[in-house]
Amino acid sequence: MIEFNDVTKIFPNGTVALENVNLKIDDGEFVFIVGESGAGKSTLMHLLLREEKVTSGVLRVGDYDLTNIPNYKIPYYRRQLGMVFQDFRLFDKKTVYENVAFAMRVIGEPTSVIKRRVPTILSIVGLVDKYKSFPTELSGGEQQRVALARALANNPRIIIADEPTANIDPKMKMDIMNLLVKINSKGKTVIVVTHEKNIVDYFQKRVITIRDGHVVDDRVGGMFDETV
Amino acid sequence: MRRYNVMYFISQSLKGLWRNGLMSLAAVTVLLSCLVLMGSFALLVYNVNENIETVAMLNEIVVIVDYEATDEQVQELSSQINRLDNIREVKYVSKEEGLESERSRYEEYSYLFEEIAEENPLPDVFKITYEDNSRVSNLVYQLGQLDHVNKVNNRTDIANDIENIKSGVSFIFIWFLAILFVISIFIIINTIKLGVEARSREISAMRYIGATNFFMMTPFVIEGIIIGLLAAGFGYLLQVFLYNTIYNAASNDYPMIHIAPISDVQMYVWLGFIVVGVVAGVVGSIISLRRYMKV
Repeated sequence: MIEFNDVTKIFPNGTVALENVNLKIDDGEFVFIVGESGAGKSTLMHLLLREEKVTSGVLRVGDYDLTNIPNYKIPYYRRQLGMVFQDFRLFDKKTVYENVAFAMRVIGEPTSVIKRRVPTILSIVGLVDKYKSFPTELSGGEQQRVALARALANNPRIIIADEPTANIDPKMKMDIMNLLVKINSKGKTVIVVTHEKNIVDYFQKRVITIRDGHVVDDRVGGMFDETV
Repeated sequence: MRRYNVMYFISQSLKGLWRNGLMSLAAVTVLLSCLVLMGSFALLVYNVNENIETVAMLNEIVVIVDYEATDEQVQELSSQINRLDNIREVKYVSKEEGLESERSRYEEYSYLFEEIAEENPLPDVFKITYEDNSRVSNLVYQLGQLDHVNKVNNRTDIANDIENIKSGVSFIFIWFLAILFVISIFIIINTIKLGVEARSREISAMRYIGATNFFMMTPFVIEGIIIGLLAAGFGYLLQVFLYNTIYNAASNDYPMIHIAPISDVQMYVWLGFIVVGVVAGVVGSIISLRRYMKV
């Protein structure tokens, strides 16, 4: 479970990015986080990744209290998260296989486990036949699938996708979203930060709307409501 | 606890060195030059100190025995002197030997010595050489306290001058080494930094995946160590070659200068190069990575 209790984040220059945010996301939920640029979505993500510390309030993710987590534990906490970025952040000099394998190597998985698990994950995202390709040889949609595969490599409990459909062509957007829904159906919590009204409206999942650092709307089966 | 594959770290380091080939080569070359400069200076100081010590050994203390002292008393004094600390060699010169020595020194005036032979005015003396130039004042004092010692002659000014030269040389040596060491570290920092900058996106992605600082830093630290070891290895060969060339030339042309053969010092040169090279590699890479290792 992810729990924000009166979370406020104020940056050193005085900018109040989030103020008294209260949120609960249960295990296995699928959540869209929407809002305009500068609303506070990115700050919320950075807090979840523990790139930033909350200024006040309490933020808990599973067994980890991110308010007081010691630095040495942060990498271990992040292994519970699978991150997907709009710019993919793949390793260009590594093949599709190596990109996924690398995520496992980082946490010290033995080669035998890596060899067994990578093809399985690539089959989930439909890229088994492209395992030798380099990211630059793939389309945007395919690159995002690799990023998803990498995010899944260490069997995380939570997938956080930051504008996962922003840099891919319209045909592939639905593929990526369907993959995320499929991953969610396997019991993983999925948080998608997006601007895309069509996608939010199509899937009818829980939608949390942030504006000026406040949660202004939170409803299950919600729509992208620009009037909120 | 999962264990990381050491071969993986080494292969990543070698890839990093290869990717920044030119910069790696420059780093090895400049670090090698620094090591050879350090080594040459250290060897120069070593040999200068050795030669200064030789000069210092020429400076002997002369203990003049009371003229009336009996043979037994002189013998007792001799054994007392030999028991003192910091003594290298004690040479007894009797009045007769002294007179003979002076006679052969001033041969053209030998007739004068004939006249004084009956009543030899020279005293018995002990000529003493010592181990440690820096403790000579203490030795002179102790000799002066012994019975039947009339006078102790010593050029303490020379001893002090030698000590001053030695400490001056050591002072310059230490500063010179420190400066060269800092330069070496800067070179490593710049090389590793280039590698880190080129891979900053990769490093940031590694952080999100859950890589520990250890995992991210190790390949770069190994890169630094490899640069240090390569510089130490090639630097050692160059140093030995240069030293032998100078040794052969100087031994033929300036036989009065004592130069230690390379076999006396090569182990220290090798160890020194390895230690300085590796420490510069490790420290340099850690400093250049600090900024990237925030959580």
